[in-house]
Amino acid sequence: MATAYPASSSVPLALEGISVAYGERPAVQQLSLTVQPGEIYGLLGSNGAGKTSTIKAIVGLVRPVAGEIRVFGLDALRDGLATKARIGYVPETSMLYEALTPREFLEFVASVRQMDAATATRRMRSYAEAFRLEAELEEPIATLSNGTRQKVLIIAALLHAPPLLVLDEPLNSLDPRSVRIMKDVLLRYVASGGRGVLFSTHTMEVAEQLCQRVGILDRGVLRGEGSLAALRERVAAGDASLEEIFLRLTEEDVGVRAAVDSLGDPSV
Amino acid sequence: MSWREALRLSNVAFTELSLQAVYAFRQGNVLPPGRSKNLVARSRRLVVQSKVVISAVLALLTLGAAAILHLKAQSPQIFSSIPAGLFQSAILTGLLSLDIALLWWTGVQVIPTLISSGVLPVLEPLPIDPRTFRRVAGILYLRLFDFPALTIIILTPIAVGIALGPLAGLAALPGAVVAVIYALALSLLTGRFFLRRVQGSRGGGGRTVVRWAYLVLWLVPAFAMFGFITAAPAFFRALGGLAVQGPSVGSGLLVAAFPFSFAALPAIVAGGPSSVAILSPTLDLVLGVAAAAYLALAAWSVVWLSRSVRTLLFLPVLTSVSPPAATFSLRPMSRARAVLVKDLRIASRTPGYAFLILLPILDAGALGLLTYATPAQNPVAASLALGAVTTAALLATFFGPAFFAIEVIAYSYGRSLPLSNRSVILGKVALIGSMYLIAAALIVGLTLLRFFEPFTFVAFVLVELPAVLGAALFELGLLFRWARRRGLAITNLYAGAWVAVLVSVPGLIMAGLPPLLFDLARSSGVGFGLEVMTLVAVVELAISMPVAFGRGAS
Repeated sequence: MATAYPASSSVPLALEGISVAYGERPAVQQLSLTVQPGEIYGLLGSNGAGKTSTIKAIVGLVRPVAGEIRVFGLDALRDGLATKARIGYVPETSMLYEALTPREFLEFVASVRQMDAATATRRMRSYAEAFRLEAELEEPIATLSNGTRQKVLIIAALLHAPPLLVLDEPLNSLDPRSVRIMKDVLLRYVASGGRGVLFSTHTMEVAEQLCQRVGILDRGVLRGEGSLAALRERVAAGDASLEEIFLRLTEEDVGVRAAVDSLGDPSV
Repeated sequence: MSWREALRLSNVAFTELSLQAVYAFRQGNVLPPGRSKNLVARSRRLVVQSKVVISAVLALLTLGAAAILHLKAQSPQIFSSIPAGLFQSAILTGLLSLDIALLWWTGVQVIPTLISSGVLPVLEPLPIDPRTFRRVAGILYLRLFDFPALTIIILTPIAVGIALGPLAGLAALPGAVVAVIYALALSLLTGRFFLRRVQGSRGGGGRTVVRWAYLVLWLVPAFAMFGFITAAPAFFRALGGLAVQGPSVGSGLLVAAFPFSFAALPAIVAGGPSSVAILSPTLDLVLGVAAAAYLALAAWSVVWLSRSVRTLLFLPVLTSVSPPAATFSLRPMSRARAVLVKDLRIASRTPGYAFLILLPILDAGALGLLTYATPAQNPVAASLALGAVTTAALLATFFGPAFFAIEVIAYSYGRSLPLSNRSVILGKVALIGSMYLIAAALIVGLTLLRFFEPFTFVAFVLVELPAVLGAALFELGLLFRWARRRGLAITNLYAGAWVAVLVSVPGLIMAGLPPLLFDLARSSGVGFGLEVMTLVAVVELAISMPVAFGRGAS
């Protein structure tokens, strides 16, 4: 039962003008982006910018009202099961089967992914060891801390070595050691060739360290996209940090100053 | 802060509980498409609807009991072997037992949601004094049961009053109140038990077996609801025997037992102690002491509830601290089997689901044993055995839709996996089919020792199987279509009872039709009856396939 992914295109992810709406409220508007082979693409944005809605559309949790999503050339909206088989997903919130233990949950995921026992066991053991999760593997998930649950979700996403990782704030709740491991895992992951990672975060430092390119979402619209150097050039700021670039592109730099000024002295 | 403030805060907490019970956002469910408006109002409405459904069932039981009491008063020849007062006490005993069982069962279903929704921990950081916080927790807990509890407390005295007179109705009030208090206390007690011994149990090894053993023990009282109906004829026969004996040790045990000690009060008020026939001055005293003791226990339960509700909502799950095994392994399986195993594992730590699996099996055991109470070679007894198989089929089918609610747990994550509806449906149908087969095998095993008709019994079980599978496919197919259209994937008793009940109706018809036709056709020979049954069962299975696996479902 070895996992195989006959790719019909080498591009891990391509979004073409997708729009997502909840009722009459638009969450994402006409978003287009691609994740190239060997690339970690960072999706940046404030709270409510549309990052999670974009990711949910990619993994099939919400249906876009317009646009096209292709995973290695496959139409995600028409061939959902085939595209889901190629994706490893870490959701923003640790939503798991609370009554299962991590081992039971990973066994369920490995079964759905139709993995062979030896590979699934080997990967589960090595990731559990790396994330120091062995002691919790047989504890019910309901009893685990948020950080431990996040580790379980990360292992579940990596278990079948998918060619595309879609990670929604994956470093949330992780301890510094696990954050470091996760960063190194992602860098090695894309270095092995052909794979892609879409990574949402609002932590600019992480994006600067990890991502070859970033896309800046603001109220559902892509305000800018490119490497850090390209974005600096675009906002005409030679040594600006990603945070400064982000604020300028989302036109929040003035707003932030005004908001802080309006607060006055916090002790008053 | 005042009671008024506590009421206001509990209202906020209850709104959040309703929202989580219906939409399960904290478990990762996404907003239903096109329905983001009025979600709160809708979830509250759905919860109210479910409470109304449960209250209606309780009201029907109460009115049914009153109608039987009235009928006996009009026609004393009915159950003439049992004196009127004893008969009235027995009926009210049954009613109060059913009231407790149904209310407790509701609590069992909603308490895990109450805990997992974390509605009170959200309020914890706010500057609310401990007394107000305790009040908020208490009001919130009471609101879980409000309509059903009020139905019992208000309707029982009225119904008894109409049947036996106003004073008798008043005498029914203490029993109704105590029954409600006990049900609320049992819900909390079993909720704590669940958190400590079931949900917190580690995986692996023989612990799954231990969990199921715990669950069987835990479910036996809840089984009373169904078991009482099943055992009612035997109970009345036993009462007839006691009435002939007059006051005895058996009578003493009966009057000291809850809820008989309260159920006898209206009969005594209506017809005097002599109408109950089994009483004597000593047993009058026993009854009085027992009733007073149960009242005292109820009063203590109220105090215990007021102190413990808040603790339950913050109770950390206890886990063992045993060292982990050196190595762990994964054994992937087929997708449908993985769904089945996942559901069984979840049920082993979730009493609400365990109950649904165990009820048909426990019922099969009870009905199988009941055949031993009938004379050997009695054709009615053989029919009882076949009827027991039919009951197993009907129960397995009736509770089938509830397994769909498991998918609400981590619903969102589950949908991100390459798992087709077809695999999910097949896994759940396998679970329902297994429940039926285990229950039927138990009946066959028990009854074969008594009536050796292996061909008829085994053939009946196997021929009914396609009908059970067809009914399960039909129900789950409808639910998946409904969930896809409405984006609301929950069918538990508390939040969406009407959906589960509605979908069960065609399933029950499908599971019940082949045995019914067998019964009609077997006068022309058992073989012919089985042939008719086979034909209908296979046709039903064929009809249900497109519903489950056709366009729009999978």
